[in-house]
This record gives sequence, C-alpha cells and structure tokens, in this order.
Amino acid sequence: MKALEISHVTFSYTPKEDTAKNVGVEYALRDFSMSVESGQMHALLGPNGAGKTTLMRLITGQLRGFQGGISIDGIKNDHSKSLTSVGYAPQPISVYASLTAMENLRVFGVMAGLSHERLQERAKAVLEETGLLPYAQKRASTYSGGMLRRLNLAVALLHSPRLLLLDEPTVGVDPQSRNHIYETLKKMNADGIAIILCTHIMDEAQRMCSSVTMLDRGSVIFSGNMNEIDNLEKFFLERTGHGLRDDD
Amino acid sequence: MLVLLRERQTIPLLFIMPVALIFFLSLALQGVYMDKLTGRQMLLIIENESHQPTANLLEQRISANKMIQRVRRPSGFDNDKIFETGRAHAAIFIPKGFDEGLKPVEMEFDPVLDAGYKAAVRMLVTGLTVEVVMGIDNIEGLSADFIVEKTKKDRTLPGPLQNSVPGWSIFAMFFIAIPMSIGFLREKNDGTLQRIFTYPVSPVIVILGKLVPYYLINLMQFALMLIVGIYIMPLIIEFPFTLGAHPWHLIPVTLVVAAASTGFGVMVAALARAPEQSSALAATGAVLMAVFGGIMVPYAVMPLVMKKLALISPMYWAHQAYLDIFSRETDFFSLWPKLTVLMLFALLCFYIAGRRVKWM
Repeated sequence: MKALEISHVTFSYTPKEDTAKNVGVEYALRDFSMSVESGQMHALLGPNGAGKTTLMRLITGQLRGFQGGISIDGIKNDHSKSLTSVGYAPQPISVYASLTAMENLRVFGVMAGLSHERLQERAKAVLEETGLLPYAQKRASTYSGGMLRRLNLAVALLHSPRLLLLDEPTVGVDPQSRNHIYETLKKMNADGIAIILCTHIMDEAQRMCSSVTMLDRGSVIFSGNMNEIDNLEKFFLERTGHGLRDDD
Repeated sequence: MLVLLRERQTIPLLFIMPVALIFFLSLALQGVYMDKLTGRQMLLIIENESHQPTANLLEQRISANKMIQRVRRPSGFDNDKIFETGRAHAAIFIPKGFDEGLKPVEMEFDPVLDAGYKAAVRMLVTGLTVEVVMGIDNIEGLSADFIVEKTKKDRTLPGPLQNSVPGWSIFAMFFIAIPMSIGFLREKNDGTLQRIFTYPVSPVIVILGKLVPYYLINLMQFALMLIVGIYIMPLIIEFPFTLGAHPWHLIPVTLVVAAASTGFGVMVAALARAPEQSSALAATGAVLMAVFGGIMVPYAVMPLVMKKLALISPMYWAHQAYLDIFSRETDFFSLWPKLTVLMLFALLCFYIAGRRVKWM
C-alpha cells in the first residue's frame, strides 16, 4: 500500500489571474510525481529553492490550488481525514516556548482531535520515545537545541501518523540528540510508519533511507533506490551542479 | 489561552494601566469638573484704601463669602511674588474715590489660574459690587425670578469619573492590540501557526480560538474598571460614579467596543512584519486615537477643528456611547449610530487583515 502518492503536481505562487494569462509565471513545482510505500524511509533531496518545503506544505494541506493529485494512505489530501494520517516536523522548531512539553502536546493533541485519555497516553509515550519524559513539566524555553528538536519530533508523532514528514530533523543538534533521533526514527519505521526525510546531510540520508527522490527547480531529477548510489554527496553534486544556490 | 496566561508581564499591565490612569487622572482633573462657585475656596487678598461706608461694606461682603478665604499680604511681597509663591489666587484693591464713583475696584489674578475660577471670582465680585453700589440685598435672589437652572430629578453633576472611567477603559481595551499582534506574529514567525493549520481543523475555528481570549480580556478589563469606578474611586475622591438610568445598555456597547479593539489588534498584526514593529504601531495608533477621540483631552474643551477630527477616531464613538449611558441617559436608539460606526470599524479591520495576511 502506498503511504504517499503524488502524481503530476504543478504549483505556482503566482496569483491565479496572472497564471491564467501565463505572464511571468514561475513554478515552484512542475509536473512533479513521487510515491512512498508504507514502512519505507524515503529521502527527499534538493538544493535550496528546489521546492522541498513547498512540497511539504502541499502534502500537509497548508497550500492549495495545485494541479495534479496528492493521496495519503489512499485518501486525497483535500479531504481533512487524510491530514490525520500525516505527522509533520517542520524545520523551524514550531512549539510554544512559554509552555511545558506536556502543555505543548496537549495543545497539538486537541488540534489533532485526540480524546483526553488517548492524549494522556500518547503524550507519555512520545515523551518517553524522545527521551523528554523527565522534563515534561519544564518549559520549552529552558530546553537545549537538541531537546527542542526532539520535542518538535514528539509533536509530529503524537497522533500516531502513518506518514511522517521531517524537514531537517537533526539540524543544529549535538551528536547524542542526533543519535537519539535516528534511533527513534528507525523504531517508528520498523513499526510500519512511512518517513520522508528532507535533509542536506547526505551521509544521514544515505545511512537512514532505502529510497530517494532528488528535485531541482521544481522537477524530479532522480528517483530510485538508495543502494543504486555509491556516494550520495558526489551523486547529488553531479546532478545539481556545483554552483551556489542562495535563492531559497 | 494557555499561551496568553503565560504572558505574566503584559496581561496584568492591561489591567493595572487603566486603573492607574483612572486613579491619578481623576484626582488630577477634580478641579476641572468642580463647581467653580462652590467647589473650592479662593485665596484672596482684599485691600481697602477708601475706608468709606460703601467700600467697607463691599470689603465685608467679599470677605464673608463662602467661596473666599481672605489672606493677608506678607510684608515686602508685591502681587507677582504672592502669585509666584502660591499665597493667593487673586488680589482685590478698593481705591480711594470708589464711593464717589471716581475709581473702579481693581482685580489682579494669578496668570496661571484656571479660566473657570477666574470667571467665577470676577462674577462674584461684580455681583457684590453691584449689590453694594445699587443697595440691593441679594442679587441672586432677585434674579431667581427671571432665571432658573433646570436639571433632571436626583441627577448629580457629572464628575471626572463619569468621563475618565469609560475613557481610560476604552484606551486600555485598544491597547490589547500590543500583546495580541505580538502573539500572532510570534506564532507566525516561529511556525506554530502554520503547524496548527496542518491539522484537520477549520481555519475559522483556529482564528476564533486565537481571538476569543483577547476579546474576553477586553470584557474583563471593562468590568474591572466599572468595579473600580463604582466602589473604589468614590472612597478616594468626592465625586460619585453613576451608571445612569439604563445600565443594561453597557452590554451591547461593550461587546461592540471589544470587537472594534480586537479588530484593531488583528489589523496591526497583519500590517506589521515584526513584533517590535507591531508594538510600536499598536501603541502609536492607540495613543493617537485617544488624543483625537477625547480620551486624553475632554471632547467638550476641544476646538472645533479637533472636534471634527475626533470623528475619525473609533475611541470617540466608543467614548460618546458610554457617555450616552453614564451621563446623558439617552435611549437605546441614540446609541445605534455609534454602535454602527464601531461595527464598521471592526469589520474594516478584519477585512484588511484578511486581505493582507496569508495566515497559512
């Protein structure tokens, strides 16, 4: 079963009226397709401005008005039910700094529609998985960078998603926290959760993921199994070039 | 709401600020609202150089008046020094030749004396002079046959609280734009707002969930100011605070004023790019609206140009609506135009915010 299926998606930030006139239209994604099987850990790679964040925002329903189709666990993503299957950990640490870890989980758990009992049970479970249970009653503002990253991940795992989208989940964390995050992801993956890992750390992607999609300027430039690639960083630079990309 | 409650510096300030403003400005403005003829004794130097019967009678009548407290001129003090040291508010000089009608009574006032008090003393001395010169015993009693002042039954004169309680409450309600816009922008910038939109929950519910706590704080602010005005302030200053004949009118008016101030906060959040910018924008906007709207300077004493400018301030409409309830005791239909303007302001703010910002 496919956890995620994206077929021929085209999207532009240009207003609709200008798109209709086809004047000065810049596409963030153009005829983009990819799929991820259940239980698969898939790397999504691309230089700055390639369209990765746009793709994540389309999958999570934050952006609308695209052409093509996106299905999560077989349900089109314009249906609110599909969103309950997705867990998203954005690159910026998106938690309330003035709240404790437990309070943060309560806020997002209510948004996800979890019952009180389920929320309590899941909050405890994800805090344990991310190693934050001893600090559950401490405010996020007192956390280290690594703890905040883990809390960011805990929020994404809270409602037991079938598909996990992770945008740079280990950026700016110490080796201990990074290792803890890797272990947590492997465990999630072993439990059958599909994971899309969006990262610039090629070593991380090659070690963790079984398949890869590379995109550049909104289009797929490579899609295949990770074991087909010997050196991912070298392969990536060959495909995307050595020129600087500062337009993200 | 939980996030809002953690704002331990900002939110208490929204309650403390209007209480302090009501307290200190009502005390400071007591004199403005006081009856200039009976509210306060004037310190007066009376010097009689004539010593003739009419002059003596005038000196005696002025000295005996309840409004006057006669003071003696310290030796070596001229009028300028007396006024400068605050020993007297005015000096009256009855010259030689007054009885013969050769010279008039001379009055000199402290140049910084309130114009209302100046007029009251001038009127009093003029009246007493006419009495003694014309041989009339009580000019006020005589004029009562021709002029009668009418007021509503059991109606007290409006005091500073009638003006300052609603005025500073409105000011504080609009100040909610500061924590509100900062909160919105912080959530937008740190991605928590976008994260919330990844859940299967209606954006309308999310936005309402953000707005309602601030709206409730606005209502609580006004309720607290009313309690302060009714129960605490009259213990400190001598003016009472009355709710008027139709206190239930406060409900629709406060609901609409809170909608206008919440709308203002959303608009500021939508227009600003950074929390620092939003706090500057909200504070400047609220102060300007208060200046134009008759909160900082009573509308009644504004010049005509400022009175016309006041119409652009939503605080003016809010303040006038409260004054209709507390002081003018008008019927509900008189409130409608003010409520309509405030509702239109709120809708305009929400519209601008909706057009300007991409919440997701």
